[in-house]
Amino acid sequence: MHSLVPTMDDIGFEELMNDPYPSFDRIRKEASAVWVSSARINLVTRFDDIMHIERNHADFASTNPGSLMNKIMGHSLMRKDDEEHQVERKAVETAFRPGVVKQYWAPRLEAISDRLIAGFEKDGETDLFNAFAAPMAAYGLTELLGFKSDVAWQDMCDWSQSLMDAVGNYTADPAIEARGHAAAASIATEIDRAMPEHRATENPSVLSSMAHAESLHSIDQIRANVNVIVGGGLNEPRDSILTTVMALLSNPDQLAQVRENRKLFAKAFEEAVRWVAPIGMYPRRVTRDVVLGDTQLKEGDQIGLCVGAANRDPSRFENAHAFDINRPRQGHLGFGAGPHFCAGTWVARQMVGEIAVPMLFDRLKNLRLHDSKPVTERGWVFRGPTSLPVQWDV
Amino acid sequence: MTVKLTFVAHDGGEHEVSADVGQSVMEAALSNGVEGITAECNGSAACATCHAIFDEALLVHMPEITEHENDMLDFAATERVAGSRLSCQIPVTDAFNGARIMLPEEQ
Ligand code: HEM
Ligand code: FES
Repeated sequence: MHSLVPTMDDIGFEELMNDPYPSFDRIRKEASAVWVSSARINLVTRFDDIMHIERNHADFASTNPGSLMNKIMGHSLMRKDDEEHQVERKAVETAFRPGVVKQYWAPRLEAISDRLIAGFEKDGETDLFNAFAAPMAAYGLTELLGFKSDVAWQDMCDWSQSLMDAVGNYTADPAIEARGHAAAASIATEIDRAMPEHRATENPSVLSSMAHAESLHSIDQIRANVNVIVGGGLNEPRDSILTTVMALLSNPDQLAQVRENRKLFAKAFEEAVRWVAPIGMYPRRVTRDVVLGDTQLKEGDQIGLCVGAANRDPSRFENAHAFDINRPRQGHLGFGAGPHFCAGTWVARQMVGEIAVPMLFDRLKNLRLHDSKPVTERGWVFRGPTSLPVQWDV
Repeated sequence: MTVKLTFVAHDGGEHEVSADVGQSVMEAALSNGVEGITAECNGSAACATCHAIFDEALLVHMPEITEHENDMLDFAATERVAGSRLSCQIPVTDAFNGARIMLPEEQ
């Protein structure tokens, strides 16, 4: 029998923000979908259920006309389905193909990483959040998009955060909404500043790919999709850099292995994205009455796919709560699945697993966690370290 | 309309399945529990974990390879060979009846 979606009232929002994994475990045991009052959405936490959803996007759509995301960012490819989605995705895809990433983006990302590390490598200690991971992700994104190179990294971070806050503004706080609109306006200005150059000469950047796309893009389409990339392409590389470094520093045996065999840095990144998925949850809308696992969903239900929980589903991963680069290769959901599978996967792998993290360990001798300042982590929809103080020998 | 396909794992193990004409070779493999196709992106040509190797005689019965698929294949976990394709981009047709499809060592 399929039962109605059960409710859980006793999961505090702060609990989710501080450490969602114990709650994820409880929800996963309870049912295929659970209404979690503090999150105000039905949460799906089992690996197989999320895979099922991603393979049946006619029943579980990304299109969501009333969503806050559309209101703040415009109607982007992330909230479209089928043909409409595919033509816009194609334009983004060309910028992020693995071959383009290797040949064109890798040297540029290396130069950014090198410059940032040179700025603090004599200091002996720093917080990698602001000294490295945030500017690395922001400058990287500026290049990938094709924005002018004089855009300040702090502005990119600020716009990204303002957009994300506004998209998650379920209490309709007007100040948060205003900041979201202001960020979108600043991004629109940057697009206008950079676009003439990209229209004139074709290059691998996102703006150029959109300007020269097979299917002509309106300015609204371009703005919406750039907003989505600024909103969603910055915190994930930042957070996965920090999570990978934190995990290696906390597991000396695995760090020794990685130092011995550099190919394992790529594995460490992939395992970090499984272990603490930077996007812990993303939404879908149920398009008709449909059964999911052991629960009955109704047309119009909003569901949150907790890939952060699915990535620790014990039926899929042995010893799922442990960071372990030696686990058998097993697909995870950190990059999503299905038609909206992360378009930036290959560039993220390159930026984090091949460039940023190995360069930190190469350049900062005897890199270690700070002996007195603690690491902090936060979030469940987006999750990662919010401070990573480290020391090294100088 | 269904046809018979045989997936041959890297270690030589064989798995015969019946596939519907029109579904992708990747879908045929997944829906029949064939090991050796991961398909992390479920057919979006974005992950290169559905790599399969086809008999060259079959290549004429497949859509021409796009620049995008071609680029992805260059980065498959197991080095590509003649006949390598992303199986999510290959629709099953009548011509596939009896086909033997090789799976790479790693996805
Ligand atoms: C570790 C880094 C990253 C992780 C874990 C990640 C994760 C994800 C996930 C889970 C989705 C699916 C969301 C959904 O289905 O609703 C997604 C979509 C997307 N990601 Fe990423 N991402 C990362 C880095 C990036 C980067 C660096 C970029 C671009 C610069 C990027 C661009 C995109 C785009 C454009 C989409 C939407 C694709 C579509 O709707 O077809 N991502 N990402
Ligand atoms: S399933 Fe991902 S490329 Fe084919």
